[in-house]
Order: sequence, then C-alpha cells, then structure tokens
Amino acid sequence: MRRHERLIVAAAILGLFALWEGLARTGLLDASLAPAPSTVLGSLIRLVGRPEVRASLWVTAWEVSAAFLVALPTGLLLGFTLAEVSVLGALFRPLVNFLFGVPKSIFLPVFILIFGVSIPQKIAFGVFTTVFVLIMGGIAAVQSVPRELITVSRVYGASRGQIIREIYLPAMAPILLESARLGMVFNITAVLLCEIYGARDGIGYRIAAWGENLQMPQLYAALVIVAAAAVAVNEALRAVETRLGAWRQRT
Amino acid sequence: MTRALVAIRGVSQRFGADGTSVTALDSIDLEIPDGQFVAVVGPSGCGKSTLLSLVAGLRLPSAGTVLCDGEPVTAPMPRKVGVIFQEANLLPWLSAVDNVAFPLKLRRVAKAERLAAARRMLELTGLAGFEGRLPHELSGGMKQRVAIARGLVQNPAVLLMDEPFASLDEQTRMVLGDELLRIWSETRKTVLFVTHSLNEAVYLADRVVVLSARPGRVVDDVDVDLPRPRSFAMSAGERFGALKDRIWQHIKGAERR
Repeated sequence: MRRHERLIVAAAILGLFALWEGLARTGLLDASLAPAPSTVLGSLIRLVGRPEVRASLWVTAWEVSAAFLVALPTGLLLGFTLAEVSVLGALFRPLVNFLFGVPKSIFLPVFILIFGVSIPQKIAFGVFTTVFVLIMGGIAAVQSVPRELITVSRVYGASRGQIIREIYLPAMAPILLESARLGMVFNITAVLLCEIYGARDGIGYRIAAWGENLQMPQLYAALVIVAAAAVAVNEALRAVETRLGAWRQRT
Repeated sequence: MTRALVAIRGVSQRFGADGTSVTALDSIDLEIPDGQFVAVVGPSGCGKSTLLSLVAGLRLPSAGTVLCDGEPVTAPMPRKVGVIFQEANLLPWLSAVDNVAFPLKLRRVAKAERLAAARRMLELTGLAGFEGRLPHELSGGMKQRVAIARGLVQNPAVLLMDEPFASLDEQTRMVLGDELLRIWSETRKTVLFVTHSLNEAVYLADRVVVLSARPGRVVDDVDVDLPRPRSFAMSAGERFGALKDRIWQHIKGAERR
C-alpha cells in the first residue's frame, strides 16, 4: 500500500469508531448490545489490570503454545510420510481428507471423557484440530518440490542429505510457514472453543462467563485481547514467510 | 587419432516390463575424441535424450557400457561431466552467482573460492554484473547462460547439452549458439549436444550423429567439414545446405511414419 492509501484506511477506521461512539452516546445504538468504544477500552484497561484475568491469559497462552509445539512436528512429519510413502498415502489420505472437513467440535465430548475438563484436554484438542492443517501442508510442501531440481543436483553429485538440505528444505519453506500460520489460527480457535465449552480457567472460560451474564464491555474487551494476540502471532509468522519466500515469483 | 574421451559401446536401453518393453536405443556404438563437438539428431522419440542421460550417469543401460575418460559410467560424475538441460532448472531461491557455485558447494569448496570461480564463469558466459539477480529476475536466455556457467564451473572435460536452446526464441537461440561456440573455442570441452534443429546441429558441430526412429540406431555419422569460426553467412552456403539435406533424408522418412 502506498502512503496516501494507508492514510485513507486509517482515517476510515477512525471515522467508523467515531461514528460508533457517537451513536452509542446519543442512545441510537443500544449500549447493552454495542457499548461505546470508550466503554470497551475502559473495560479492557481494567481487565488487564486484574491479576486473575492476566493469569487466565497465561493459561490460554500456555495451552496454545503447548498444543502448537506438539502439533507442528507431528503434523508435518505425518504429511511428509504420507507424501513420500505412496502405500501409506493411498491408505490414510482419504481418512485425513475426511477428518479435515469435519467440524472438530463434534469430538469435544470424547476429549472430556478421556482427559476430563483439564489443561491437557485443551492441549489435546488443540493438537487434534491443528494437526490436520499441518498434515495437508506437509503433503503440499513435498509435492511443491520440482523434480527437475532433484535431477540437477544428482547430476552435480548431491548426496541424499544434501538433496534434503539444499533442495527440499528451501523449496518447501514458504509452504511450511504458510501451513504453520494457518495451523496457528486453527489452534487458537480450537483452544478457545474448548475453554468456552467447559473449563476452570483460561480466557475462553472468562469469555463464556461474561457472555452468560451479558457483560458486553468485558466480552468485547476480551475479544480485542484475543484478536490482538492472534494478529501478532500471525504477522510474526508472515514476516518470516515473506523473508524466506522472497525468491517466489510474484505475478 | 586422439583417444576417445566418451565411448559408448554396444549400448541398448529398454523400458518397461518384459512383455511390454520398448526398446529406446539399440546397440549404439560411438567414440567421441577429446575436444570434439558432436551433435545428436533424430526423429522425435528416437531416444537421443535417453542417450544423454546414460552418459550423464542418471540411468544405467540395459546392455553395453558407457566410458567417460576411461572410466565406466555407473553414477553421475560431477567433476568430469557438466549437464545442461532444456530448461535452465536454476534453484529459484539462489542468486545467479550462488546457482553457478552450487556444484562446488555440494563438493564443500570454501565459500570465497567457489564464489570467485562462479564469478569467472558468469563473466565467461557474458553475465558479469548480474551476479546478484534471482532467477525470476532474468530472461530465458540469461537463465540458460547461468545454467551453462554452472555446467562449466567444475571445469569438466565433457559438456552434455539436452536441447539447451529449444525453449528460447530464435534470435536468442542464434546469439547463444555463437556464444557457445566462443566458449567452446576458449575451453575446448568435449560437447555432446542433443537437438532437433538441423540448422543448429550443422552450424555448431564438428560431427552430426543421426539416430533412427525407435528403436534408436546410428544411421549416419556426418563429418561437418565447414571451416571455423562458423559464421551466419555459412548457413546460406551450398555446403551447409548439402549437409543438412543429407541428414534430412534420414529423418523425413521416419517422421512421416
């Protein structure tokens, strides 16, 4: 985006908030449904100041990170295996495709039966949801490696290890990072859903409670926190992706 | 006579299972002396690219042996043989100079040394000043120059070229043909050049080997007795036409079938 385009976008967003604020204050907008941005902001500052809310945020952050750290290598390695070993691919890819398309929340009761309402349950459900995205990403990444480049490196005497290091990894890097980013989005959503469904702590648990009591300012403030965290993670991964994928031809 | 640097002896190549096997090449015998520029032509599907991949060590023949510098070829020989394909096949995430240095990197040559060698090769192929460009920032002809530089960077004795100019436009092809002859006269590599262009074959080579339609056999071995350096004007000459016509007589019957 060029500079004046950025300015227009920023002005439009500010204008929208100003309009919202105005409508809420004049009572044209039902404040119990859509509280004014200033009210939400005030609520946000108070929430972040409360130690028990901060603790809940940490619980969620821990669940999300743990689930991601398990799902990332598991999913990618499964994806690589399914792409490289054709027998396993033929056997399991239909199953993966099937489960990929199914709403994972159907399985939430199963996770509660196995793990109880606990932190491991949230992590396990996050892994379960995220792993399919990463399996698909791993398969796509392997298939994106051009065969000709492997022939070329063989001609120039590359060993198996060198082909993996010098061809496979750099060729797959952009798709791997893209899948990681997408997986993270699914992961955050899954953990929050799990917490809203039933939990003893975590920001999702608090969101559920505020929602039930129709505490809209708190609900929106929590939404802002979660969205900000998700966007921050997403953008950080995207920055790495752009840097490593600069060689990809843009059209 | 100079010794044969590449010797192809009784080489046959069959593909597929016994019942449905296809013979791509049938008892090919070819001796290529050191420093000779040999073009291989033949009708589509005659196995000329297969022949090249056998010399490159990318596959083993069903029968016969391929010798390179006296050594049987059973695997790629990166230090003796450089290969250039129809597509440049550069690693898209590496700059031009890093692409040229890639074979040396695989051999774990120190960074400064391999970059210096790569720069010299880019200079030789007329790409000085483009070292830092990524492949997608280069034109088709420039990419193929990078591929040639990469093929030459280990100073191999043999250069195998599989229709290297086939996907370029005609003007670029002619310019690169002349460039290749200049590089060849400076480095005196043994070149095995597969092409489907008779013009290109006669214009570039010392000798044109003509293969028949499948199963590929050597049906003619034409000595191109045109003086060097070759010039564009020669391609309009009588001798050039006669040589081309002789080769065409072999090919046209096969292509019509």
